[in-house]
Amino acid sequence: MAETTHWTGSARYLCDPALAQAFHMARSLGMPLLIEGEPGTGKTDLPIHYAKDRGLDLEVYPVGSKSNIEQFVARFDHVKYLRDSQIEILNAQREEKGLSSKLTTGDRNPESLADYVVKGPAAIAYSKPHSVLLIDEIDKAPREFPNDLLYALSHRKFIMPESGEVIEISEEEMPAIVITSNREQELPTAFKGRCIYHYIDFPDKEVMGKIIEKHHPGLDEQVVRVALDVFYHLRRLGLERAPTTREILNWLKYMGDIAPKEAVKKIEGLEGIGALIKTQADMERINRMIGADNAAFGSLN
Amino acid sequence: MLSSLPEKFRAHGLKADLRTLLLLRKAMQKGLIKTLGDIYNVLKGIIVKEPADIGPFTKAYYEYFLHVPIAPGQTLQDAILRSETFAQWKTQFLDEADRDFTDEELVNTFLDQVHLTSYDIKEVISGKEIWDKDNPDQVDSDPEDNDSEPTERVLDKMADYSDLSLEELLERMEKVRQQQKTQHGGGSHWIGTGGISPYGHGGAAKNGVRVGGQGGGKMARKVMGDKNYFPIDRDALLNDNNVDAALASIKGVIEESATEKLDVPQTIKSGLKRGGLFIPEMSSEKNEELKVIVLIDNGGYSMAPYVRSVQNLFRKMKTRFAHDLEVYYFHNTVYDRVFTDERRTKSISIEKLLMHNKSYRVFMIGDAAMAPYELNSLSIHNLKAIAHKFKKCVWLNPEPLRYWPHTYTIQVMKQLIPMFPLTPAGIERAVRAMNAKSTEG
Repeated sequence: MAETTHWTGSARYLCDPALAQAFHMARSLGMPLLIEGEPGTGKTDLPIHYAKDRGLDLEVYPVGSKSNIEQFVARFDHVKYLRDSQIEILNAQREEKGLSSKLTTGDRNPESLADYVVKGPAAIAYSKPHSVLLIDEIDKAPREFPNDLLYALSHRKFIMPESGEVIEISEEEMPAIVITSNREQELPTAFKGRCIYHYIDFPDKEVMGKIIEKHHPGLDEQVVRVALDVFYHLRRLGLERAPTTREILNWLKYMGDIAPKEAVKKIEGLEGIGALIKTQADMERINRMIGADNAAFGSLN
Repeated sequence: MLSSLPEKFRAHGLKADLRTLLLLRKAMQKGLIKTLGDIYNVLKGIIVKEPADIGPFTKAYYEYFLHVPIAPGQTLQDAILRSETFAQWKTQFLDEADRDFTDEELVNTFLDQVHLTSYDIKEVISGKEIWDKDNPDQVDSDPEDNDSEPTERVLDKMADYSDLSLEELLERMEKVRQQQKTQHGGGSHWIGTGGISPYGHGGAAKNGVRVGGQGGGKMARKVMGDKNYFPIDRDALLNDNNVDAALASIKGVIEESATEKLDVPQTIKSGLKRGGLFIPEMSSEKNEELKVIVLIDNGGYSMAPYVRSVQNLFRKMKTRFAHDLEVYYFHNTVYDRVFTDERRTKSISIEKLLMHNKSYRVFMIGDAAMAPYELNSLSIHNLKAIAHKFKKCVWLNPEPLRYWPHTYTIQVMKQLIPMFPLTPAGIERAVRAMNAKSTEG
């Protein structure tokens, strides 16, 4: 169980009630929350804003194709250890030869093994009460990673390699764990079984308007409305890569600097649409449609 | 107590087991479950593991907890209107209501009540902090503030059951279930004033506090009509809708792992160079890169509907994981050449194809239906050569499985190259067969 009060979003982050409830549930049960959804639905932002809003420590572990559990928990730096212990011999030899200059090991001491343990985000998060641990984009990981992770997370205890130091945390103080995935790879069933699952729906027009409001508060209403029309129209076309929240926010950031009237005109003229369309094939398709049916596109609003 | 839940939910293709019940119990102990809507939410978090589960889950929930069976293709509103549970609820509700309601309004109210969660209630009484107090009677007996009395009344009614142990709550639910089973619609006490879920109805409404769900009902309704929330038929032939499911199956072909390993020879070599100062050298080990050759039969009308889906599948595959993907075309069967373009104007010889590294995986896609004379000895010889060289070679056939025994050339082709149907499930089996080969040799 992590910090368990119900959190419903902050001034900068609009949290869908269903997501807020799932998050609350996960923290109450002391289980990781696995969030899936389209890119740009605010998966990663949830723990970041939660930690910020509540003043909690946040540890982030971005998963990559080479992620392994040692990086995540802790590993023993054999190279440094070997170097430092070799340095002692080297220094002794130098002394024999009458050389005064010595090599230093920093403040690490080969006698104390704990100096060579490199702690990963998990070990750090588990050593602090009520922290937040974000494991980002787990679907990028090699296949065995989620299962290793599962084992690590199901015990509230880590034993540091070589030094034998034990990091343990009580159920009340354990970190809130959030795992995000873009569904690029199917996660093992056993892994999903141990998580509370939440799938974020793509926000509808109304919610998107609120999200935009949170990010670009001063934006002209008319501009937002027109932009949203275009945006959702594009999403309905079934493009190869449908534009996401991030893209419309960027687009509007650019429009925000322009006078509203002109911006509306620009949006209607689909100017700067490159911010929304990400592949060549989609672009060609859009161009073809504008060419063929300019009127339909112009009459959107 | 709820012991039949896993079985019933499993019947809908969901993963529910003993652990589901244990988690549910834990959630109760943590005070997460106070209403029927809470059960929906909590179970959803526990059972649903991908978007496609949401549909079946909602169906299972309505069937199990509310006795509202939803037939395939039926909308939620329709199912509710036809259900016994709703009829019972309606009688009670209309008894107390002071005006008439349309069906739509009734269903909406019903959904609001079903999906009312303790979070919603908390919102209604936010700031009162009463909800979290251990003993609701305390509030009852000692109303300090007269102004807020109406609200507290509501709460009083709401809180009626909140200190009933949840075990008891569920036990009661189960009992009602049993009764209903034996007495055939002897009355639903699930929701509404007479039932175990006192929230929302009566008291709340009378006092003018609107207790509406935060859209749980809306969501449930949406789910029923949306095919995104139902699993794709994994035995349907490959089409644009299930191409992603197929893609998920095909992902199994990569067994890539990236672990760091101590490179002993390199460590010794560089250690000797340093005069005996051995520093471990790590090397990252990358197991297998995915190399794929796709051979597509794009001749003739029989294959035309599938070519696009297949290309789509492998194109997506390429952008996501394939390091090396080559596509060739043939007509009906492979003779001494395969073609590099769709119109079959440029070609390479089979010898050249066979010069590829043997670690390539070969997917042959075609209906393998042709006149028997077309499958001549040259073709058979070359197919054998391909299957011999590339151990991981499969044939994916869009022809429905039941026609296979009646086509002579399919029978022959099956002997030469392992054949699987061109469906997401078939592709998965093909990939599994391929991987089994890789462990053998």
